[in-house]
Order: sequence, then C-alpha cells, then structure tokens
Amino acid sequence: MDGILETKDLYFYYAGSTSGALEHVNIKITKGKKTAILGSNGAGKSTLFYNFNGVYSPSLGEVLYEGKPIKYSKKALRSLRSDVAVVLQNPDDQIFCSTVGEDVAFGPRNLGLSEKDVAERVELAMFQTGITMLKDKGTLQLSYGQRKRLALAGAIAMKPKVLIMDEPTAGLDPQMANEVMEMANQLHHLGTTVVISTHDVNLAYGWADEINVLRMSKIIYSGTSEGFYSDIKLVHTAGLMAPAMFSINKNHCDMNGVEEAPFPTSLPELVSKMSSERPKSGMMLILSITDGLTEDEMLKATGPLGGPRVGVYGTAARKAVFRGKLHADYVFNGIDNCLLECVNGKNSVLCCEGRMVDIVTDRIERLKQFGTSVGYEIREV
Amino acid sequence: MDIFETMDLFHSYKNSKVESLKNINIKVGKGKKTALLGANGAGKSTLFYHFNGVFKPKSGTVLFDGKPMEYTKDALAELRSDVSVMLQNPDEQIFSATVEEDIAFGMLNQGMVREEIDARIDEVLSMVGMTEYRMRPTQQLSYGQRKRVAFAGAIATHPKVLIMDEPTAGLDPQMAQETLEIADQLHIGGTDVIISTHDVDLAYAWADEIHVLRNGTLVYSGVSEGFYKDSVAVALAGLMPPAMFAIDSNLTEICGIGNGKYPHTRAELLSKMAVKDTKTGTLYGIPVDDYIDQAMIDCVLAHAEEGAAVGIYGIQTRRIAYKEALRLDYVFDGMENCLIEVMNGNDAVIYYDRSLSDMVIGKVVKVSGFGLKIPFEVRGGL
Repeated sequence: MDGILETKDLYFYYAGSTSGALEHVNIKITKGKKTAILGSNGAGKSTLFYNFNGVYSPSLGEVLYEGKPIKYSKKALRSLRSDVAVVLQNPDDQIFCSTVGEDVAFGPRNLGLSEKDVAERVELAMFQTGITMLKDKGTLQLSYGQRKRLALAGAIAMKPKVLIMDEPTAGLDPQMANEVMEMANQLHHLGTTVVISTHDVNLAYGWADEINVLRMSKIIYSGTSEGFYSDIKLVHTAGLMAPAMFSINKNHCDMNGVEEAPFPTSLPELVSKMSSERPKSGMMLILSITDGLTEDEMLKATGPLGGPRVGVYGTAARKAVFRGKLHADYVFNGIDNCLLECVNGKNSVLCCEGRMVDIVTDRIERLKQFGTSVGYEIREV
Repeated sequence: MDIFETMDLFHSYKNSKVESLKNINIKVGKGKKTALLGANGAGKSTLFYHFNGVFKPKSGTVLFDGKPMEYTKDALAELRSDVSVMLQNPDEQIFSATVEEDIAFGMLNQGMVREEIDARIDEVLSMVGMTEYRMRPTQQLSYGQRKRVAFAGAIATHPKVLIMDEPTAGLDPQMAQETLEIADQLHIGGTDVIISTHDVDLAYAWADEIHVLRNGTLVYSGVSEGFYKDSVAVALAGLMPPAMFAIDSNLTEICGIGNGKYPHTRAELLSKMAVKDTKTGTLYGIPVDDYIDQAMIDCVLAHAEEGAAVGIYGIQTRRIAYKEALRLDYVFDGMENCLIEVMNGNDAVIYYDRSLSDMVIGKVVKVSGFGLKIPFEVRGGL
C-alpha cells in the first residue's frame, strides 16, 4: 500500500524540554484510507500533525511525503502545504481575514492562482461546507460552529491531497458534528486522503479504516480498530475507553455464544446482528441528486402521504431539500436512519448527492455481512 | 420541591434586539441529576448565568430554593457561596498564579479561616487527583489539568448546587469518566448537580431529568425517553438521539422485546435483551473507607483466582487502587463492566467508595429490573 505520509524514527523535542513530545514514531498514512490518530490529552497528536505539514521539523528522524523526505526550504514548504492542509482544533487560530470570502481565498491566492481560479475554488469550498450565504459576513460575527466550517473551507480551497483535521467535532453540537463528518467522507470519496485526530472513540470507530494510537509520545498501536479494542488493558493504558458499539457487540456475543466478528460499526449493522428474528427487509430508493430536487420528483418517489420515510445524505442534497422546501424525516444521519428503516422491514427514500451514491451502495453491501440484504434502486433526478 | 425555578424569564444581550431567552418557565427538581440540553447557541449558558445571578432577567423572576433572587451585593455573595458554576473553558475561571491560591480564592472571599481552607484544598485536590500539583504554577498545567483545578475550585466551597457547563468537553474519555464519577459522588452527598451539554449519550446515561432549549425557548422538561421518542422535536433542537436509545428502540420494534422500560446503560440494555434462564455469576462488593487492607485484598484475590473479574468504582477507591497497585481488570466504568461480567455467567468483585453504597445497590436493583436478576453480596470491611 502507498504511504502518502510517513515518519521514520521521528523524535521531536520542544525547545528547552528534555523529554520528547514524540519519541521513536514510525507511522504510515496510507493513501486513500481514512485514518484516525487516537490518544488522550497531551499524548502528542497535535505535535505529530505539525511535523506532517512542516511547521515543526524533526529533532531526529525524518518525515516522508509521497516517499520523499520533506525539505524545509521556504519554497518546498509552500508546495508541501498546498498538498497537506491542516485544520486546527480551534478555528480562531486559523482565521485571519475580516470577511468570510476573503478568508477562504487567502490560501489559494498565496498559491499564485489567477483570480478566476481563486474565485472558483472559494465558491466550491464554501458550497461544500455550507457557508455560501455567509460570504460577505465579518468573521468576528460568526458563531463557533460557523467559524469551524470556515476553517474547513479555507483548507478545502487549497485542494489538498491530504487533509488533516485536529478534533474536527470538538465543541460542535451533534447535528453539526454529523455534517462535518459527512464532509470528511465526501472529500475522502473524491480522492483526498483524510486524517483526523480525536479522543472521541465512538466517532473514530464508525469512521476510520485504520487507527494509530499515541500514548505519552509513542505510537503503541497501528492497525484496525477491532484489533486495538480487543486488548482492553492497552486501551486503558492509552487513556481511552472502548467505543459503545464495540462493547455492546462484544457483550452481546459473549452472552449468546456468537462470534464477535464481523464487527458492527454502525447502528443498522449492530441492530441487524443483534436481532435474531427480523421481518423481510425493506427496499431503498436512492434519489441521485445532481442539481436540485423538485416537489414532483419527491412525490413520485414517496407516493402519497404516509409513504416511506425520507432521509438526506450530503451537503448538496440537504440544500436541495431545503431549497425545494421539501419534507424529510431524517435530515441528519440519513444513511443510517434509512438503512434502519429497511432493517425494520420498511421501505425508505434517500436523497443523496450524486457523487456520493457509491458510499451508500458500499454501506448496503457491507450490511449483508450482518444478515440484512437491502434491495435498492438508483434514480437520477 | 425545586431548587431553581424561573417564571416568565426573558433575557436579551445589550444592544441586541434578539431575545436570547424567551418566556422560560423551568423547574429544576431538588435532589435530581439534571441535564440541560441544546445545540450551540440555544441559550444554555445564558440560563446558567441567571442561576448564579451574574445575569439579571430582563423580565420575569428566578427563584432559588423557593425564594426570589435578590441582586444586592450581599445577597449575590450569599447566593454564590451556595451555587457554584464551573465554566466550559477553565481559563475563564483560573486567575491565580498557583493551584493552591486559585482553589483558595473562593473560600477566602467567603472569609473562611486558613486551617479550614487548607483542609478543603487537600480534600478537593485529592478528589480530582491533583494532590501533587498543589504548588504548581497554573500556567504550566495542561488543558485537562486546568479543567480539574477549575473543578476543584468550584467544589471547595461545598456548594449546595454545582452547575457544570460542558464538563467533559475537550477531556479524553477516562478524564470525562472521572469527572462524572465525582459529580455522582457530590450528588449522593447531597449536592444538586446540573450539567449543560450537547453530548446526548452522556446526558442519557447520567441524568434523571432533562430540560431542552431551542433558540432561547424551553421545549421539553422531563425524563429523557419522553423527549427522544419525538424524533421531530429532537431534530429541531439540533440534537440526535443517544446511541443507547436508538439501539433499544430499533430492537424493540424489530424483535418485539418491549417491556416498556428504557435502558440507559449498556448493562441495562443487555439485561433487557437477555434470554430467559440465562445463568449469571455473582457480584461481590467490597466497600472501601480510606484504606484497603490485606484481608480485603486476599478476599478479592481468592475470587479472582476462580476467574472473577475485578473492578473499582469511586474516586477514593481509585486513588487507593493506584497507590497500592491493585490487580484490576476494570479501572474505568468498573460498575458497568462488573455487572456485565455477572450477566455473562462470570463472578465479579467491585471495590467501591462506601459513600457510594446506595448508588451501587441502586444500580444492581435497576439493572435486575430490566429482566436479568443480578445476585449481589457485600464482602469484607463490614
């Protein structure tokens, strides 16, 4: 597998400190994988990120980007940072300009792009993060959640190959957190390698393909989530706890003498696995949205009142539903909720951004392992 | 009886035409673990500031302990010795140069004598696990440590009510767990604990009653399940249902295992799901005062040798367990994990703070009530 970012025997000491903030860290971020870096407060997560984008240079060892050691000349760093974008935990550390539009444009402009290209990137990044309406607003007038989106928009506008997000959902309420993770999925799906650091084990469990766990400046685990959480002593040593989904599955399997694998990482998977008797599963109609969605199209999909429940997935789909003043039952967490309906023997309709339909069909495919086979139809609208 | 009550409370910030609180009529029950839920900007913190008199209502009344609040300097000083607020960001609360001075601050303001202050500092630093940091400059502390110092300062005055704004935000899972254990401990000691959060999972497992704010309006007061049953109200409030609620309601609907009870924890869910005639083990409880002696350790080891899992519950027990380097299987979430071991047919032993006895027994009874009876015996130190 291709390592897009890699460290070799990396040590990092803060000035004046004799204990390493990172010690002997060998980590490989695989291209195209969703990677989470886990660890308790102070374990070294943020320090590692600053080594990835060249803000810090290693005290010992080296950092490789696309197989080549990072160079720390001004020119090399500029090129690195257009490829590797970091979204900081606190958006205020990242927002400099007085209006939203200017702030998003800041990075692309520094890349020396034409004003036309800059404008295009700004539009797209604001659209993807749902802040288009805020373009002319002063950055000081934004709420915390809006500032967090703005910081993300600024990073996306760089069109990075790797997007590193430090505690992306910290301080956000559940719906906003859900939206941010959807955006991360979307970017990943479109080819960006997304890395998040978090101590939210529940979030990381459902999301990450691979995890790396830091404890007191050292990497103590790299691999799948299940492998880590199966070793509860190691989990506790790392200052973490097992995710609820993992624990419930384990406890349920132990009590009923069932194999722990396959490991459910989402509600539909868990419910499907835990329910021994189920009705015949429902069908899902996926409305693949390219631009907007009309009332007629929605009515055709749901039928008259009392039809199947409707979910939404993707920022663009959410906008289409809002703009068309259409009714949806699950505006957030649409995939999970629609799949749950199907597990429960009911049909459902998912309004999905066209480019993200594959994510949905992958989830339907995955659900088969847990005993539920959901039939589906994709309808372009 | 209510500890706080507001009547037709309105509030707006200076120079703002928008009302940040609109016609709030809330009753916060005495002796209840209360959670205030809502999305960012719903008005949670604004309401808190009315509870400790920092904000005065634009119109309407706030009652504390049945009496309308007064806003004179003396009345406010008295109120704030009864009502402690722990802010989300510890930096807004830590003023002094050293940990010791910072914790002493509130007590000095109350005119407490130095010996008493010193004793209280010892007590609260031990509770939050920061004894060795007493003389440290506050500037050198990590975020988690600053959060603990702020917590210690808030509880040192032995308030009647402790209000915590997002107490676990920014903390890693173990620290979050410890914070809630301390909150439980204070609650059982008679302090009314109110937390504000948008962590629905945390609130679901912890709170007896919830109040939900949306755009400055109170949209729900009551038990959690009553709120989450109304998925439209949940969505409008900017929230999502807790995982435990969602798992249970889906399984109930699919398998028809409904017994009308709502599990709020893993152990309760598994108890509800368990098939009839599941063979359980036994849970042995070892209440701990301020020491763990060899007899207790031997008793636990004897069980452990026969395969029992060992857990701990309570702050004091945790400190002693670390100091004595006890053999433990579950350092965190001990009660929950031991209950599950027992449901799994294994024995389990739990060391717990004696002051938490009622809570331990309460949890055993509660989990048993979901379907699977948990045998429980108290051992040693009687």
